[in-house]
Amino acid sequence: MWDIIVNATPQLVVAGLKYTIPISIVSFLLGLILALITALIRLSSKKGPFRILKAIFRFYVWLFRSTPLLVQLFIVYFGLPYLKLTFIAPDGIKLTPLVAGIITFSLNTGAYCSETIRASILSIPKGQWEAAYSIGMTRSQALSRIILPQAVRVSLPPLANSFIGLVKDTSLAASITIVEMFEVSQQIAAENYQPLVMYCLVAALYAVACSLLSWLQGYLEKVTSRYVTNAD
Amino acid sequence: MLKLEKLNKSFGEHHALVDITTTFPEHQTTVILGPSGSGKSTLLRSLNLLERPESGRYFFDDDVFDFAKGISVKDTLNIRKRTEMVFQGYNLFPHLTVLKNIMEGPIQVLRRPKAEVEKDAHALLKKVGLADKADVYPNQLSGGQAQRVAIARSLAMQPKYILLDEPTSALDPELELEVLKVLKQISTEKRSMIIVTHNMAFAREVADKIIFVEDGHILFDGSNEDFFKTENKRIADFISAMTFANI
Repeated sequence: MWDIIVNATPQLVVAGLKYTIPISIVSFLLGLILALITALIRLSSKKGPFRILKAIFRFYVWLFRSTPLLVQLFIVYFGLPYLKLTFIAPDGIKLTPLVAGIITFSLNTGAYCSETIRASILSIPKGQWEAAYSIGMTRSQALSRIILPQAVRVSLPPLANSFIGLVKDTSLAASITIVEMFEVSQQIAAENYQPLVMYCLVAALYAVACSLLSWLQGYLEKVTSRYVTNAD
Repeated sequence: MLKLEKLNKSFGEHHALVDITTTFPEHQTTVILGPSGSGKSTLLRSLNLLERPESGRYFFDDDVFDFAKGISVKDTLNIRKRTEMVFQGYNLFPHLTVLKNIMEGPIQVLRRPKAEVEKDAHALLKKVGLADKADVYPNQLSGGQAQRVAIARSLAMQPKYILLDEPTSALDPELELEVLKVLKQISTEKRSMIIVTHNMAFAREVADKIIFVEDGHILFDGSNEDFFKTENKRIADFISAMTFANI
């Protein structure tokens, strides 16, 4: 069994470094940007045509939280080539597996994280806005200087949850032909007939990656909470 | 000079301020008194546009603003630069040190050079007796210290008017005294202050002018001396209740 592990681990690690980790990081960063935009639009009190924009983003969050990630991946990768739009894409929307994966993971993470960010902004007491306004700040100054720095601390644990979830969910990318870590473990298992060892091995590698992230979360929480916990 | 003319503000069915007309003289301390829920905080917050009255005119020096027509973002920011609010709950920025709390407005809003602002901030901290607290975070302060920092933060903006909304209501008497001493000193410097308070002894001590509000109406608008010898039964009862005269 040891030589199986010794032989397979490097291949899995390479697949992880090549696909699992980059897909996770890129998708999470894009998702975070999308989440912040979504949260701010949904929290805006602007009226008029802006309400349509709010409705669109509310629909987006509903859509991606109400459907399975695997199904979303299938629609984007296998389904969109059949979506023939005159002028824009007359031959259907054909994406490479990697692009399809990153788009889907970003949209999915963005939908979940937007709710986290929205809630964390709402959790900051109204008095903080008022104090910011009182010293003459604009809404965007109040948001960027006073509210968001405090909201970051509140949203860190749930955002870390989402990131850790995403790292594991990238294993679904195997189903749209991306040769990430889990796909490689399947291929090796098919050759050496050791599914138990191979899948336990890949599970352990996911666990290592996620443990590192938990540690990073703890560190970031400590840094961003300097002002709450007394530095005795 | 600040002046309000026929100010009206409702919260749903509740008519919080009814045709309020009054002035807040410059270089004087105006104290707003009245029972809880009378509309005195709403009146104060309207001056800083944290509340938006539905109608009425707001005169600020040479500017006139009409609430019925709405006040533009630019005018709002302009008014807020000239008025600073001190809140009952302090509302210090918890993620910034005491010094940074004071420097935030002058740097971000007034765009003044950092070195100069920092020097002023240290001077203000000294003035409120907290020179040694510059680098601590607000959660390490007592209520009285926090409120004094909030006062320093408002002074740092060099406003024309400082608005204080029950600044000592959350404090025990000893901590209250710390804050009142600072306010007393500011009032002797002939700054323009408007204070909402329940502390009668303090009102009597610092007020040049007193406004008494009840059910959204002004029942008294005059000098400190006249207020405390008023013939008005309602006001006399209020004063006696607040000073525990007939306990």
